[in-house]
Amino acid sequence: MTDRRDFLKVTGALGAGLVLGLRLDAKALPGKVAKTEFRPNAFLALGPDGRVRITVPKVEMGQGVRTALPMVLAEEMDLDWSRIDVVNATPGPDFKSMGTGGSTSVSTTWTTLRQAGAAAREMLKAAAAAQWGLAVGQCHTEKGFVLGPGGRKLGYGDLADAAAKQPLPSKPPLKKPGDFRLLGKRTPRFDGTDIVTGKAVFGLDVRRPGQRFAAVLRCPVPGGKPKAWDKSKAEAVHGVKAVVEVPTGLAVIAESTWAAFKGREALAATTTWDEGAAKDFSSASLETKMRAALTGPADEARKVGDAEKVLATAARLLEAEYSFPYQAHATVEPMNATAHIGQAGAELWVGSQSANRAQDRAAAALGLKPEQVQLNVPLIGGGFGRRLGTDFSTEAAQVAKAAGGGPIQVVWDREDDFRHDLFHPATLHRMRVGLDATGGISAWVHRIAGPAILRSWMGGQKSPTQAASEANGALDLPYGIPAITVDFGEVEAPTPLGWWRGIQIVPNVFARECFLDEVAHATGMDPLQLRLKLLGDQGVVKFGGEEADIRRLKKVLQVAAAKAGWGRKLPPGRGLGLACHAYDGRTYAAQVAEVSVEKGQLRIHKITCTVDCGFVVNPLGLEAQVEGGIAFGLSALFSQITWEKGRTVQTGYHDFPVLRLADMPSVETHIVSSGADPSGMGEPPVPLAIPAVLNALFAATGIRVRSLPLLPQMLQKA
Amino acid sequence: MPTHQLTVNGRVHHVDADPATPLLWILRDTLGLTGTKFGCGQGVCGSCVVHLDGQAQKSCQTSLREAAGHKVVTIEGLSKAGTHPVQHSWIAEDVAQCGYCQPGMIMTAAALLQHKPHPTDRDIDDAFADHVCRCGTYSRVRKAVHRAAGGVK
Ligand code: FES
Ligand code: FES
Repeated sequence: MTDRRDFLKVTGALGAGLVLGLRLDAKALPGKVAKTEFRPNAFLALGPDGRVRITVPKVEMGQGVRTALPMVLAEEMDLDWSRIDVVNATPGPDFKSMGTGGSTSVSTTWTTLRQAGAAAREMLKAAAAAQWGLAVGQCHTEKGFVLGPGGRKLGYGDLADAAAKQPLPSKPPLKKPGDFRLLGKRTPRFDGTDIVTGKAVFGLDVRRPGQRFAAVLRCPVPGGKPKAWDKSKAEAVHGVKAVVEVPTGLAVIAESTWAAFKGREALAATTTWDEGAAKDFSSASLETKMRAALTGPADEARKVGDAEKVLATAARLLEAEYSFPYQAHATVEPMNATAHIGQAGAELWVGSQSANRAQDRAAAALGLKPEQVQLNVPLIGGGFGRRLGTDFSTEAAQVAKAAGGGPIQVVWDREDDFRHDLFHPATLHRMRVGLDATGGISAWVHRIAGPAILRSWMGGQKSPTQAASEANGALDLPYGIPAITVDFGEVEAPTPLGWWRGIQIVPNVFARECFLDEVAHATGMDPLQLRLKLLGDQGVVKFGGEEADIRRLKKVLQVAAAKAGWGRKLPPGRGLGLACHAYDGRTYAAQVAEVSVEKGQLRIHKITCTVDCGFVVNPLGLEAQVEGGIAFGLSALFSQITWEKGRTVQTGYHDFPVLRLADMPSVETHIVSSGADPSGMGEPPVPLAIPAVLNALFAATGIRVRSLPLLPQMLQKA
Repeated sequence: MPTHQLTVNGRVHHVDADPATPLLWILRDTLGLTGTKFGCGQGVCGSCVVHLDGQAQKSCQTSLREAAGHKVVTIEGLSKAGTHPVQHSWIAEDVAQCGYCQPGMIMTAAALLQHKPHPTDRDIDDAFADHVCRCGTYSRVRKAVHRAAGGVK
């Protein structure tokens, strides 16, 4: 078992075999023409018609990999962007590492895809040179053609045969960034037209011959099991074919989704439950335990000096408690998977962020070998970490098995999606700072208390990196403070947990950046000046297993402040607030929020975001990630999942408010370039939105919000 | 089960199903028109919006009985080849992220512009009040609606 970061790293690095073992197989194309495809590696196939099919090794869930990753390959190969087709990889020997998350898709495939494209380009050049009797150095490539002296010109398609016979270059030269024609250009989403015409196929749109639909009746308390039920009521519903038992509950198989839902409703009325160990769990009981863990023993995540000792003798002590609730993913496409079990094996269609793991687990559930399970990944209607879980795909395999093979599409409704999410857990944060006689920060102590996500991901095991994982965003406090302690007090909770866009960095950075704002105000310092002073002239700083270049963080903070007009005079009731963070030491971001409160109503007018994520493959996609990340972060200002009697109180968008169009602030994105290789952008904007807005709220009104969600009564005095 | 006559994208269908079945499932499971999406089935996300006699309507909240005899247009029927002005401006503004909520948004935008060729920001806020885009494409949705209206962004 690996933790999330390792999982994404290991599975992200496209096994060396793929790079070194670039295959040289010329495969016959179906059809009359006896021409061959040129397939120098698993990522691309050039047809005799000159079209190139690019296989994307990561999954698309809105973050734009079906655009960005082909751009990388197309750049090196000098393809005509209008003549490519993009297909999704399937897990197997060529794609052992499709795990998609942690904002790693570009960074982990960047070099491999460049090499893949460059190798193909060199082979095409060699093929043309041989045909012309020239040296390779006399040829160059442009938009799908090899060009030579004297106006010589050959299309890639015409060279497919010959290129396939060329030796594979071991170290093909990569382009210099100055020669890029595609990379760095604002490139619209590859699937745009399919999406706006309704042709795009998401998991829920999969339709197989003879397909049936299923809804699973699960115990509303996670871990509970059905005790007694009467199938006859469900079977009497028009369109219902069968009711079968599966490990997660009772599956109603029907001719249509609606019949499955109606059948399940009838079945539910007859079912009694053994609600299991979690039946008395509540948010209130968890909070009591978390509060106790704020002062009890804890696992250390970072220790610099002896902060407790410094606190004991500090001239002044500042202390505050922050709290962040459970959150749901609430992807608009509910969980679903389609499974078909045949003679030789099984086939699944799953919008999975962990395709290889989903394949392995479905195979195990069916008593098959992974290679007997073909797993197809359609487009994904929102992932945000939810679909790193394999619960819904394994369940679909089990339903198909119990129902005699399928094909069956298991559809979750909105309530299922909320009740059986893999939640982001609640946390409490005890923040303490010691000030010396001059008002400088001499010690910083951040205690996090809550359930451990990593334990849930590791099947209940405690990983040695658990405290570091739960303290992500807190332990990598970028500020130069002489004594720092960050630790994690684990509290057990019987709820399934998972990775959520921004992970623990969201609550941890919320507590950290808001508390620092409190320290600034308590010491009469400007929040920007305090941050700049604390970032100081630090260079690369190590935090446990990772490091960050503090100069890059300082730069984005300065640019954000300048662009947002930090320090300008604002009318009463209006304020600016800021926050910054070095995400996993890879992506540096800062945000400045401008808010106002009128008649008890918070309005978020604008968020200015600066980012340094190294080389930007597609600025248009980057801006979308910033806008979307901010919307996701702001939703968590207002939403929460609470628990009563072991079940979630919330069951849909009606009681779990996510940001709507009218409340979307204007977002301005500025890219700060650093010349580094690309890092990632899916998560880094998320954790900054909440602290930037709450710090702005304080500037506007003097109201300090330390506990989320933000409720209307908290704004009352404004 | 009674048979209902349903006109979808100009084609007449005879649908044999429980009259209480939401139009959404008739479109998706019976007619195979999967462009209209299921997001909540509770009337609060807008993924399932279609046009019923030219009005934006949540198909998860519209029964087969209510839809029968009326003209239904889905995302597949908005234009022959993605050439509706709203589809054009959606591409021009590169609105979509995952894309899942987008057919519903586009149908709402098209109906809005039909009734208000030059909507204000406030009109747009109101028209999209029941739409959820978890990917957060809202700023671009607003720009695309203004663009389709021929106004400045
Ligand atoms: S599916 Fe109809 S409003 Fe959500
Ligand atoms: S684009 Fe993903 S939900 Fe809107």
